Amino acid sequence: MIARDTLKGWGFVAPALLWTLAFFVVPFVVMGAMSLATLEGRTLVWGFSLANYAELAQKAYLWRAVLVSLEITLTVTVLSILLAYPLAWIIAFRVPPRWQRLALLLAILPFWTSYVVRSYAWLLVLSREGVVNKALMTLGLIAEPITLANTRIATVTGFVHFFVMLLTLTIFANLIQLSPNYRRAAMDLGANAFQTFRHVILPLTLPGIVTGAFLTFVLCIGDYITPQILGGNNELTVPQVIMVQLGRRADFPLASALAIVLMGLVTLAYLGCARWLRLDRI
Amino acid sequence: MRVLPWIYLTAAFVFIYLPVGALVLFSFQGGGLPVPPFDGPSLRWYADILGDEDLVAALLHSLAVAGGSSAVACTLGFLAAYGLARHVMPGSALVRGLLIAPLTVSYLIVGLGLLMVLQRLGLPLSLMTAGIGHVVINLPLCFAIIYASMGAQQQNAERAARDLGAREWQVVTLVTVPMLMPALLAAFFLSVTLSWDEFIISFLLTRFDVTLPVEIWSLLRSGLSPRLNAIGSLVFLVSIVAVFLAELLIFRKRP
Amino acid sequence: MKKLTFALLGSTCLAPAAMAQEELNALVWCDHTDPALIEPFEEAHGVKVNLREYEGTGAALALLEQSRPGDWDVLVIDGIDVFRAVDAGLLAEIPADQLPTGDFFPEVVMAENNGADGKTYAVTEKFGYNTISYNSDKVDPADMEDLTKVWSEKYDGRLTIYDYYLPVMGLAAMSAGIDTADISADTLEELGTVLTDMRGRAASVAGVVASQTALATGEVDIVVGGGEWLTAVLAEEQPELTWTIPEQGAVRWAQSIGVLADSEKPDLALEFVKYIVSPEGQARLATSSCFWGMPANAEAGAHLSDAQKAVLRWDDQPDYLARTQLYPAPDIDLDIEMQDLWLETLSQ
Repeated sequence: MIARDTLKGWGFVAPALLWTLAFFVVPFVVMGAMSLATLEGRTLVWGFSLANYAELAQKAYLWRAVLVSLEITLTVTVLSILLAYPLAWIIAFRVPPRWQRLALLLAILPFWTSYVVRSYAWLLVLSREGVVNKALMTLGLIAEPITLANTRIATVTGFVHFFVMLLTLTIFANLIQLSPNYRRAAMDLGANAFQTFRHVILPLTLPGIVTGAFLTFVLCIGDYITPQILGGNNELTVPQVIMVQLGRRADFPLASALAIVLMGLVTLAYLGCARWLRLDRI
Repeated sequence: MRVLPWIYLTAAFVFIYLPVGALVLFSFQGGGLPVPPFDGPSLRWYADILGDEDLVAALLHSLAVAGGSSAVACTLGFLAAYGLARHVMPGSALVRGLLIAPLTVSYLIVGLGLLMVLQRLGLPLSLMTAGIGHVVINLPLCFAIIYASMGAQQQNAERAARDLGAREWQVVTLVTVPMLMPALLAAFFLSVTLSWDEFIISFLLTRFDVTLPVEIWSLLRSGLSPRLNAIGSLVFLVSIVAVFLAELLIFRKRP
Repeated sequence: MKKLTFALLGSTCLAPAAMAQEELNALVWCDHTDPALIEPFEEAHGVKVNLREYEGTGAALALLEQSRPGDWDVLVIDGIDVFRAVDAGLLAEIPADQLPTGDFFPEVVMAENNGADGKTYAVTEKFGYNTISYNSDKVDPADMEDLTKVWSEKYDGRLTIYDYYLPVMGLAAMSAGIDTADISADTLEELGTVLTDMRGRAASVAGVVASQTALATGEVDIVVGGGEWLTAVLAEEQPELTWTIPEQGAVRWAQSIGVLADSEKPDLALEFVKYIVSPEGQARLATSSCFWGMPANAEAGAHLSDAQKAVLRWDDQPDYLARTQLYPAPDIDLDIEMQDLWLETLSQ
């Protein structure tokens, strides 16, 4: 009987499993194999060569791209959490309940502007004659316009904008599930607001934060659009370098090796926060 | 101290709406460049984009890909969740891990891998191949959302139905699906949102017919123009109407 | 299950393609996607032209090599890269006597680039220059006539570099007195020095829209590698944004069009090529909504307004053509080295 039940279960799982195997696992294996192949002239030679990885270690613009990607992604992840947490907190605990849903919706509404257009809009906002420079000058903080567009600041700003919305949503969902009793109990036991946060709320919401942070890391490190539009190519990220390899020379082996390295970074991030991750409970 | 949260809230909203505000404002630009000074308002760029067949076609393609791929992702995700939650299966943790795995991989890698496989097999690229890629990235989310909402409550109802003589497919379609409707819809809408806006997979895996983000990308390379602002504003307008409708019609009903 | 899925996806996505009309598949640059250019041909021949844009010759060649016969009919390609497509056996010979190359600006016929072993495989359709675009209100136009002054200390932080290595490295070579055709592994070190100087002075390295935005908003005053194709859209509103060809000269780009060897509709494809190089087609291509550029066929002048010709600087062409050099055309090994040098300099 158990066997029959199990068989039925497999029947239900099979379509999704086959889809994932065919269109995710197989491509991934092909990519791994491709990263060990080489491009001789324009002919693809399969084999077990580590030439692409060696090239990655030798050529400064390649390994520097890995560092740049990491720096940008970590900056973005940390900044986004620091900005999103208070926002989610205020919406969860300060905004009157009947306005909560609206406030949350408003906070994530720009999510639905086209991603490509949003990056481009930041380019205009951050330009020398853009709103930010105008505002800083009116406030007397700067004497003349500063260059913001086409820099890493612009890339980070564009990313943070996107991920603050995403993280506000996930952190809010976490906060709202907390029973108010926890806070009350902590206060009753004599904890001040900070202690309550530090020892009660933060540990309870940590899985939510870490899950959000991990998603931010994955989406940010693999993104091509934002650094390409906003970064001014002053430095290249891994996805940009991958696209360069594809564009001019169709160098799939080197692009695959870069993708595998990218994957490695994500895996490291995963291992780093696996303790708290709840990916199947988003 | 009491005002501090409200100041923060205001500042956060300013930050969040800054690019959208600039985008919408300069979509009404009268001149040919979306840069200060503002010399509108004018509707010429809206007229311009609505008359652009390629853009309108791309918009329809995006809708088709988003709707189609989300429907598939939700269906597959639901079936897998049902199988795993209701049947005793050895190695179910491994299966769950495998189904969730694409979530931990960048879209670029999913697209690049699929592109290489399709090229090896000599299969042509189309909106369908982009759709396949979107199912890959949305399936884990759909599965996770639906799996998380499969509780004991439905299980009891399912058991009752089975005791009353319902066959498995009747149980699934008449009991489980209706009870899980909120989760299914949430998964579907999230999936549509992500697919609708996805660029890199669509860029790598389409051929002649492209989705809206890809069309916008090629416009972006062809030069600075308030057309882009108008498209962005229009997409935003359509999206917020859809979001509010979804909010009012579907999610408000939930207790 | 999967069948159902495919049916579902298929019926929603492929419905418009169901029309039984003859179709021509073209792999092109974005200027060919302008309906004003394509529709007259579609109407005249009762066909549908499917267009796919691409960036980068390598990507296009890889796509073509992995496609099946009949997938593609027409290819638009960088003039200097025609030989790569010919070497790969991708292009079909086209009858030279059916092409109006006699009416072309002689410098852009480029029979050597477009053919091999006495056979013609492609024909030039459009050309222009990668040179210096600038804001004449903010810089001294006289300085713009000398490449070495453009990236001198005077304009530190006020220029952006157009993000394409071939033309910019060509300009760097010319400023050092090296002809673009003479760029070799031996001269790369010297080029590297010039590029590093240039990069040191530049505020950014930017694509088309980013450099246009930077120029139009005053972020920078000079675009190295720019030209009419970059500033034409801006000049309408900001006439101070202009371009010049300096004393040392500038780099000339040219794009070619050809028929693919695997085409199953070679006759229709040839008709399309002939339409594109006809005076009418040339005038439409020159003023395409994506970017403007000089038509290869001088007869197109009869179909362009005086204002359009003024923007294209029609009357200056003899002088410009004499003073400019073709894009560098490296072989594969040199190309890799050049690209590495470029990326290396960028990320410094």
